[in-house]
Amino acid sequence: MTTIQARKATATRSVTQPDGRSRTSRQIRLKTVLIVLAAVSLAPYLFMIITSFKTNQQFADSFWQISFPLHFENYAVAWNQIAPYLFNTALVAVLSIVLILAIASVSGFVLARYRFLGRGFIYGAVLVLMMVPGLANLIPLFIIMKDLGLLNTYIVLVIPYTAGGVVLGTILIRNFVEGIPQSIFDAARIDGANGARMYRSVMLPLSLPVLGTIALITVSEVWNDFFWPLLVISDNNLRTVSVGLQFFQGQNVTDYGPLMAGYLLASLPLVLLFTFLSKYFLAGVQGGVPGAH
Amino acid sequence: MAVTVDAPSRAPSATINPRKSGRTPRKRVVRWWIYLALLPLAIVIGYFAYYPAVSAIYWSFFNWQPAGTSTFLGFGNYVTMFSDQIWWASFRNLGFIFVFAVVSWILPLLAAELLISLRSARWQYVMRTLLIIPMAFPGVVTALVWGFFYSPNDGVINQTLKALGLGALAQNWTGQNSTALLSLLFVGFPFIAGLPFLIFYSSLQNIPTEVLEAAQLDGVGRFARFWQIDLPLMASQVRILLFLAVVGTLQYGFVAYVLTQGGPDNATMVPILRMINVAFSGGDWGYSAALSTTLFLITIIISAVVVTARKRGSETTDGGAM
Repeated sequence: MTTIQARKATATRSVTQPDGRSRTSRQIRLKTVLIVLAAVSLAPYLFMIITSFKTNQQFADSFWQISFPLHFENYAVAWNQIAPYLFNTALVAVLSIVLILAIASVSGFVLARYRFLGRGFIYGAVLVLMMVPGLANLIPLFIIMKDLGLLNTYIVLVIPYTAGGVVLGTILIRNFVEGIPQSIFDAARIDGANGARMYRSVMLPLSLPVLGTIALITVSEVWNDFFWPLLVISDNNLRTVSVGLQFFQGQNVTDYGPLMAGYLLASLPLVLLFTFLSKYFLAGVQGGVPGAH
Repeated sequence: MAVTVDAPSRAPSATINPRKSGRTPRKRVVRWWIYLALLPLAIVIGYFAYYPAVSAIYWSFFNWQPAGTSTFLGFGNYVTMFSDQIWWASFRNLGFIFVFAVVSWILPLLAAELLISLRSARWQYVMRTLLIIPMAFPGVVTALVWGFFYSPNDGVINQTLKALGLGALAQNWTGQNSTALLSLLFVGFPFIAGLPFLIFYSSLQNIPTEVLEAAQLDGVGRFARFWQIDLPLMASQVRILLFLAVVGTLQYGFVAYVLTQGGPDNATMVPILRMINVAFSGGDWGYSAALSTTLFLITIIISAVVVTARKRGSETTDGGAM
């Protein structure tokens, strides 16, 4: 159906863009190559989904095919082990997001809209951090947290994500607020709004998209970060998804069905967010490019 | 932006003003609440980003005992570093990883070029979505599933080879020196779901249609268009990507940790893993701080080079269409 429509579209367009030769056949070849590329990219995840419904016996018989009956109980087994990790990760992500948005929105607003002594210096100090990967700080930060007695707490997880997120957040928000027309702020001032009021009633409502982008970047960062939780958390009840999954893998090496079901459950929240909010996600991925500002 | 200054803000400004007025010719009122608003930012990045970096540099000159007394070593840790075979071998691995990453951009570039050539907008949308779905999965899941593919007995790759009658080709992919690093690098094949693809695709989309129409009138074919229009217009994006690839490579480590832990026999050792091992397994925190500082300096130097190159580049191309 779509192929036919696509062909029609090419047929009509090739009238306006005369290039000669058979454009339609070329597009079929093109689509085939793209479909193959997509299939190869998605194969491991399809494999994961298919295997998650199997028993070991079904897996041994044929590992690429779907085999019936589907064993949904694998998911129940995996959920019992994965759920605490998901909860921890979600909690850490939410705490980090709240802190990041609170700090970065105020800083971004002030840096974008006010002229004051040291403005360039402060913004420069933020920009420099954009260039420096957080991993370079791993060892000294670990000792700082150890000295503060924060190992094996939620706070120790929240802190580096907040520190990293505040840097990117301030830059994104500052750039966004600079793009808001000055006339809107002037109008608010004439109506008697002071700085705090302008922040709350003008800047925040207008910046919702960029705030959403920052929240999504943070979720993805918390979900993916590996080394920090690996080093600072040894209590299994506090593990986040990435490290928890590795532990989970060690517990279920020979139970392929529940193992893959666990992987899928751990991915699901992120995949759902990505599916429904992919526009903001992609804006975040590309906006987060250091050197692009 | 001139905001009406209310009464309380004037009081502290009076005390600061005389000192500042010498520097700024115009009379300025210092608005203390601006600095108050920036205080949380300053505390967070000061204490949790700048202070650790500086303390790593400081402690790298010591035999650092976080719980006990540390003795000053001067450049001792750095001297140790220069004779550390594992450390330099890990940089050789990084070089390989970087080259592999850059060469593998051919696939996302190919995918972006194919995608942009699709004439049906719906097909473009569907294919683009399918191609980037893997980005939504957590990296650790991707690594673990690939680890499952590579596993020597029940692994999908070996089982498939056996089913095809090629059982002789079955390997212990991540467990032997010759294939371990390459196996790690193939995690995520064909590497389309990622930033390079997104950047290639969006910069191809942003090429003005006038340029393409003019090229078409001049009889420029698809391949000539790629060399003469697409690539030159993507140059600045490619420079950003190169920079990101360098920084990303320096941070490479978690896939190696999950799949091989740096082994076998350090064949997949990378600097981050070496740094962590030295500190957490060897207990040599000062040396680890020296390694951390070295990585930090390398990143800073590369960033500085790229930023200055970009500045110069944008000055000369300011009049261009991009």
